[in-house]
Amino acid sequence: MSGSGLDTIVAPATPLGRSALALVRIDGPRALEMIEQLAGTTLAERVASRVTLTDDDGPIDDAIAISYVAPRSFTGNDLVEVSLHGSPAIVQRLIASLLARGARSAEAGEFTERAVMNGKIDLAQAEAIGDLIASRTALQGKLALANLGGMLSREAEEIRSALLDLLMRLESALDFADEDITFISREDLVREIGRVSSRIESLESTFTRGRATAAGITLVILGRPNAGKSTLLNMLCGTERAIVTPIPGTTRDLLRETIEIGGLPVTLVDTAGLRETDDPVESIGVTRARDAAGKGELVLYLIDASAGATREDLEFLAAEPDAIEVYTKTDLREAPPGKFGMSAVRREGVNELLELLESRIIDAFAVPEGSAAVTNERQLSALRAAHLLLSSASEASSTGSTEEIVAADLRAAAEALKALTGDISRQDVLLAIFSKFCIGK
Amino acid sequence: MKRFDAIVIGGGHAGAEAARVLSRAGQSVAMVTMAADAIGRMSCNPAIGGLAKGHLVREIDALGGLMAEATDAAGIQFKVLNRSKGPAVQGPRAQCDRDLYATAVQKTLAAEPLLEVVEGIAAALLFDRKKVTGVRMADGTELSARVVIVTTGTFLRGLMHSGEQKSVGGRWGEASSESLSDSLRALGLRLGRLKTGTPPRVLKESADFSRMEPQPGDAVPRPFSILTDSITLPQLSCWVTYTSSEAHELIRKNLHRAPMYSGQIDSVGPRYCPSIEDKVVRFAEKERHLVFVEPEGIDHPWLYLNGISTSLPPDVQEGVVRSMPGLENAVIARWGYAVEYDFVNPEQLDATLKVRDVGGLYLAGQINGTSGYEEAAGQGLIAGINALEFLRGGDPLILGRDEAYLGVLIDDLVTLGTEEPYRMFTSRAEHRLLLGVDSVYERLSPRAASRGLLDDERRRRTESRVARTAAARAKLGGLEFLPDRETTSFFESELGLPLTAPTTLGKLLQRPGFEWDAFAAAARRAGVAPEALEATIALSEEELEGVLSGLRYAGYVEKQAREAEKLRADESLRIPVGFAFQRPGISRELVEKLEAVRPASLGQASRIRGMTPAGISILRMHLRRSQSGTIRASAPAAAPEILG
Repeated sequence: MSGSGLDTIVAPATPLGRSALALVRIDGPRALEMIEQLAGTTLAERVASRVTLTDDDGPIDDAIAISYVAPRSFTGNDLVEVSLHGSPAIVQRLIASLLARGARSAEAGEFTERAVMNGKIDLAQAEAIGDLIASRTALQGKLALANLGGMLSREAEEIRSALLDLLMRLESALDFADEDITFISREDLVREIGRVSSRIESLESTFTRGRATAAGITLVILGRPNAGKSTLLNMLCGTERAIVTPIPGTTRDLLRETIEIGGLPVTLVDTAGLRETDDPVESIGVTRARDAAGKGELVLYLIDASAGATREDLEFLAAEPDAIEVYTKTDLREAPPGKFGMSAVRREGVNELLELLESRIIDAFAVPEGSAAVTNERQLSALRAAHLLLSSASEASSTGSTEEIVAADLRAAAEALKALTGDISRQDVLLAIFSKFCIGK
Repeated sequence: MKRFDAIVIGGGHAGAEAARVLSRAGQSVAMVTMAADAIGRMSCNPAIGGLAKGHLVREIDALGGLMAEATDAAGIQFKVLNRSKGPAVQGPRAQCDRDLYATAVQKTLAAEPLLEVVEGIAAALLFDRKKVTGVRMADGTELSARVVIVTTGTFLRGLMHSGEQKSVGGRWGEASSESLSDSLRALGLRLGRLKTGTPPRVLKESADFSRMEPQPGDAVPRPFSILTDSITLPQLSCWVTYTSSEAHELIRKNLHRAPMYSGQIDSVGPRYCPSIEDKVVRFAEKERHLVFVEPEGIDHPWLYLNGISTSLPPDVQEGVVRSMPGLENAVIARWGYAVEYDFVNPEQLDATLKVRDVGGLYLAGQINGTSGYEEAAGQGLIAGINALEFLRGGDPLILGRDEAYLGVLIDDLVTLGTEEPYRMFTSRAEHRLLLGVDSVYERLSPRAASRGLLDDERRRRTESRVARTAAARAKLGGLEFLPDRETTSFFESELGLPLTAPTTLGKLLQRPGFEWDAFAAAARRAGVAPEALEATIALSEEELEGVLSGLRYAGYVEKQAREAEKLRADESLRIPVGFAFQRPGISRELVEKLEAVRPASLGQASRIRGMTPAGISILRMHLRRSQSGTIRASAPAAAPEILG
C-alpha cells in the first residue's frame, strides 16, 4: 500500500477478450483525480460523461466515465467506472497508465471487501454477490439476489435480536434483582432458548437446499452392463456425449455432463456397468462407479427390462432405498407392474423421467423462490456454533446453573451469529472470503 | 499564596479517595470544601454497595481506598444481593448510619498529616498556558499546585427544585459553585446539565412499623474491607411499604406542578432511578410501587423512603407519603427535591481521568456524568493515583475492561461519553465472569502494592487471602474420584449419588442436587479427601463460595479469559498522543468521532460508537507502520542507511 492509508486500486470488471465494451473500475481517494487528468475535464457525479482519455503516449480511447463520490458508491469510497471499447489492448493501456499514476492492481474481491469494510453491505450479502456472478440458472440467480437483498442477513438479524431480547431479560434479572419485578422465570427461559434454537435449526436446515441450489447437484446413473446408461445420458443432454455400443462394458471411466433440471444445475454421471470382471481397466471403472454412487445426491438405477432384475440389482436397491429404479428397453419387454419404464428405441418415458427428476429435485434440493438460504460452509458453521452455545445454555439453565452462566452462553451465541453477517474482529475470515472472488467485482 | 502538591476541590466520596491516596503517598494536599463538617456526607440514600456497586467498593478496597472501611464502620445492615448466584453478580450492600459514615471518612482524612482542609468556595482554576497551576477562592486567596482534581458532585451551578420553588445549591441547605464552570468552559470543554433527585425523609417516631413488612439483613454481616474482621455495630431492620392507586391519582392530577413535567427542568435524569412521578407516568398499569423504609442511623431521628424520589410540591409529597401503610401519620422532616447541575462530557478526558491536552487537571465523580457514591469514589481513587504518578513521574494506572469494573467504568465514560447519569451494571462488563466480587485482591491488590499504595497490614492481609484461596483451589481442583467399590459406595450411601465414571469435584458441583456442605460433612466422617478438606478450613464462608464457584464454572471462566486475551492485542496497539486521524479512506464523520474521543489504543478506537471495520483496519495499518518506525528511529546511529 502507498503511504497515504487507503490506496487507489484498479481492475477490469469484465473478462479480457474482444467484445463490444469493456468496463474498468477505479476505487480510492485518487480515483476521480486520475481519470479527470486522463480526460482533461472534470466529471459530474453519477452522470455518464463522454470523454477522450489521453496520456503522454497519446489517446487511449473514446470512453464513457461515471463517477461515484464517497460514501455514495458501491464500495463507499470514491469510485469511477469507465466503459471502453472492448479490446484487451485498450483495457491494458488504461490500466498501465493508471498504475503509472500510482494506482495499484486490485486483489481478488477487493472492491467487495471495501464495500464490506465500509459497512455498505454485510458478509452474507458479499457472498451473495459471489453466488450471483457464479449463477448458471435463473433459480440460482434468484436465490443469490434474495440473499444479496439481505434476506439471509435479515433472518439472522431477527434471530439475533430475539436472542438479545432474551439476554436483556436475563440481565435485568441480574442487575435489578432488588426490584419488585419478575423479568423471566426459569421455565420461560428454557422455553425461549428452545424457541430461538429451533429458529437457528431451521435456518441451518436450509443449507442442504442452499448448497444444492447454489452449487448444483450430481445425478449418478448406475446399473449392470448394457442396461442403457450411456443411451440415457445422451438422451437427457440431447447430444451423443457417450459412446454407445451393444458390447457390455463399453463405458469404463466416469462421464459427466451438466444440464438444468428444476432450476438447478444437475451434473449427470455415466458410469461403468456394475459386474465382476477380470479386465483391470473395467474393474477400476466399476470401483469408480460405486464411489460415485456414494457421492451423488441422486442415483438412477437402470435395469434391462428384457433381462429382468438380477439378484445383484435387488441387493443394490435394497441397500440404496433412495435410488430411483428405472426399467429400460421396454420395447422388448414391459416393466414389472408399478415400476417406471422407458424405451430409447421408441423414445418413450424420457419426458416422464425428467418430470420425475424435476419433482424430486424441487421437493428435496431447490430453495423455494423468494426464500433465504444458507449457501456455504462458513455461514453454516456460524449457525452451528450458535446452536451449540444455545444447547449449552439450555442445559445450564435446566441443571440449575445461575443466570450469569446462562447469560455467558447466550452472549457468546449472539456473537457467533454476528459472524454470519460479518464481525470486525474476524479479519482472517474476511480475507478468506474475499480471496474467493475474482478481480473487479 | 499557599503552595501544595495537589488540590482536590470537593470533599465527597470522590474527593475523599483522591485526597487520601495522594497525601498518604507523601504529597501535600489541600482539600477545598464549602463545609468541613460535610466531608463524606451521604447526599441521598444511606447505603453503600448493591448490584455492581458492591464490586466497585471491593475493588476500591483492593486498591487501598477508604470506602469499604468507612462502610464497615458505619454499617447497620448488611445484605448480599443475588446471594444465590455466583460472585460475578453478587452485590454486597450495607445500610449505613449516615453520621457515622461521614465521621469515619473525616477521621480517616484527619489522620493524614499532609492533608489540609481549606474551607471556602473554589471560584476559578488558574492556568499557565495549558497547565493547571492552582485555584482561586471566592474570597480572592489563591492556592497553587501542579495538580488539581475537581470532584464537585452536584455543586457546579447546582439548582434545586421542589415543586414550583427553585433555589441555588448543590444539596439541601448548602451553596453552589457558580463560577467554576466558566473556568472549565474557558478550556474549550463542553459542559451539559444533568438532574438527580432525592425522596422525602420522615420522622421515625411518626411511623407505625407494625403496618410494614420488616426486611432484616443477613444473619452474619459480611464486611466490605479486608481490614475488617467483624461488624460490631448493632444491626437494624428496614421495612417495606407500598404506594397505592390513590397516591398515583394524586400525582397524575398534580403533574403540571412537577418540574420535570412543567418544563421547569429539561435536563436528563437517571432512567434506572426514576422519580415516583416518572414511575407513575411510565408504568401507568402498575397499581403500586414498592417503597423501602430505611433507617438513616442508629439514633438518627429520620427515615429514608427509598423509591419515591420526587420534586413534586410539598403538599403533594405529603399526600403521597401519608397514603402508604404505616406512614398515615408520618411527619415529614425534609421534602424531597431534584437538583440540576453542570457536568463535563467525559469523552474529553483520557483514561487516567485527566482532561486531555491540559496538564495536571483531573475530574472525578458526578462531574463526569456518573451517579452513585461508589462510581464517584472509584473515579476519585483512580484520578488520585494517576495524579500521584504524574507528580512523581510514574506510570499511569489504567485498568482493563477484563481486569476491573473500574476499568469498564472509566473506559465507558471516556470512550462513549454519557448523556444521562451513568450507573454501573454488571452487564456492562463483557467478561463479567472474570470480575468476581471475591477475586478483587488477586486482580488488583498486586497492582496497588507495587506502587506502594497498600500499607503493611492491608498488604499482608491481601497476600494471605490470595495464598489461602489459591491453595484451596489447587487442592480441591485436584480432587478426583474413581468409581472403585469403596468410592462408589461412599457416594451412594452418604450422598445418594450414583458414581459410574471417574469424576472431579468441579464436575460434581455441576450436578443438580450436589451440595458442598453435605459432601464435606460426609467426607469428614468417612475420611475422604482429608487434605482438601483441611485446606478449606482456613477459608471464610465467602472465600470458600468463591473457590467452589470457580471450580464449578471453570470452563466458562477460561473461555472468557481466552476471549479477553484475543482482544488484548488491539489494546496494546497504542495510538500516540497527537496522532493525526485525518487519513485518506477515513471518512470525515469517523475523523470527527476519533478527534472527539482521541482513543489511546486501537481497542478503544474500535469501541467508539459508529466505528467501521474499514476505519479500524486503516488505523491499524498506520499504527503498525509508526510502531516499526519507532523501532527503526531508535536503532543505533551507526546504521543511518536504514533510517527513514
